[in-house]
Amino acid sequence: MSVLEEMQENVVAGNESKVVELTQKALDEGLAPEKILNDGFVPGMEIVGRKFQENEIYVPEMLMSARAMKAGMKLLEPFLTEAGIEPIGKIVIGTVKGDLHDIGKNLVAMMLEGGGFEVIDAGVDISAQKFMDLVKEKKPDILCLSALLTTTMGEIKNVIDAFKENGLRNDIKIMVGGAPLTDDYSKEIGADGYSPDAASAVDIAKELLSK
Amino acid sequence: MKRLIDLANSFYSKNKRLVAPLLGFPGVKLAGSSIKLAQQNHKEHFKVVSSLVDKFNPDIQFVLMDLSVEANALGLNTIFPPNESATVLKKDSEFNMDYLDLLRKIEFDSDGRLLSYVRTIELMKLNFPSDIMVGAYVSGPYTLAGLIVGAQEAGLMAAREPEKLEKICIFTTECIIKYTRLLLSAGADAVCVLEPSGVMLGPSHFNKFSAVNVKKIVEICHRENVDCVYHVCGNSMHLIEEMVQSGVDALSLDSKDTGVDLLVVAGNVPDNVVLIGNLSPTRTIVYGAPQEVKSEVRDLLELMDDFSNYVLSTGCDLPLETPLDNISAFMETGRNYVVST
Repeated sequence: MSVLEEMQENVVAGNESKVVELTQKALDEGLAPEKILNDGFVPGMEIVGRKFQENEIYVPEMLMSARAMKAGMKLLEPFLTEAGIEPIGKIVIGTVKGDLHDIGKNLVAMMLEGGGFEVIDAGVDISAQKFMDLVKEKKPDILCLSALLTTTMGEIKNVIDAFKENGLRNDIKIMVGGAPLTDDYSKEIGADGYSPDAASAVDIAKELLSK
Repeated sequence: MKRLIDLANSFYSKNKRLVAPLLGFPGVKLAGSSIKLAQQNHKEHFKVVSSLVDKFNPDIQFVLMDLSVEANALGLNTIFPPNESATVLKKDSEFNMDYLDLLRKIEFDSDGRLLSYVRTIELMKLNFPSDIMVGAYVSGPYTLAGLIVGAQEAGLMAAREPEKLEKICIFTTECIIKYTRLLLSAGADAVCVLEPSGVMLGPSHFNKFSAVNVKKIVEICHRENVDCVYHVCGNSMHLIEEMVQSGVDALSLDSKDTGVDLLVVAGNVPDNVVLIGNLSPTRTIVYGAPQEVKSEVRDLLELMDDFSNYVLSTGCDLPLETPLDNISAFMETGRNYVVST
């Protein structure tokens, strides 16, 4: 088994220390950082996403995999930067104002990182104004908005409306998600994409980038 | 008070259905109060739930859904926005097992806010018509553990340190049982265990951290001849077997939008387990028009026609901004429906 295959396997198993060890081994063997990312981490996280969608694994196992991937990425990132490897897209993600829940948002962020995106995590309880400021400052390709509560899902619409009112809507693709949201609701409020779960977020984000 | 299954069967034998939306926060509007006041003062709380009973006359009336009661009684930082449910803030320091020893020293069941919920149940039992079941909520063992250690940390702990998490869940269950005993003494006719975080777990983890512990709460309820209901938010289709095995009397399930197929569930659970659900609280009741609510309630009732063990309800709690006309449409359609057998 090659070092990258072994890496995929350990990302899926959520074995953090082994993933770090294998990342170092791959670098020591002279593999290109981009190859380690694209043939090690990305397919590993794709398997994790598929297993999650097929109910083979659940959130705890997904968290373990994401954490392992992140630990490996931390080691790899300086080499990617040095080699001039750009992420496939930039994303700002946050939970809307009034909502302090972050586990879903964190999982989406980790899956997107594992999918090759640069992710700027704004955190929780983020106002429309703060999202607008972040978009102006960081210039992401996609803004991801999350809400867990039925009481805060309306805030997602408020953020989208604020972007429209301030003439910023055309500058950004907006993707939404969270337990009370549905595809119909996301269309109704004018979002560009809706992700029903963390695993689908990567494909939807890639789709939005190509539009 | 009769048991829920007997009531459901009795209504079904008359081609009727029990109608019991998960209804609390809209009462704040009706009573001219605020969520914060109601969640901190039992008289205000009673005023809120009474306004719902006066206007809608549901078959079961629960207190306000509040997942912070037990966590707050354990001293965890909680915020009380005027018109949002109280929320436990994320712990900013890393959890260690010594912290559990500190929590054990807290006189959990003499907490003022926890007792205000107990007083509310007492007032409901004393003042509501005897044919309305008085429902109490308690946090689920895993959800409360998640509030103590952090939801994400609890998830990681489930996979990495299950023995540790098991100990924490045993502790949270002991607390929940203390609270349950107080609610039963106050006259609760049904105790609903809220386990929203449980939906993130696979069946074996759910069983280990939630269901085996809920079984202990069920036993306490059954000693007093009181029903115990299991509520898991989101798509709980993969957990139905474990929920049933806990011995609960009823499952309260989320809407089809989340992936719950009530018909499939009904075909798989014993007919002495009541199914409560599952109209979409947001898509239909908050954002729909009364006509849509009526049409979806009828569709749902028709879907469940063959099952006696069914109570018409919402998939989850109705938020404050729910249009009152939509709740009336829900109640009216449910009341007027004739089961075709």
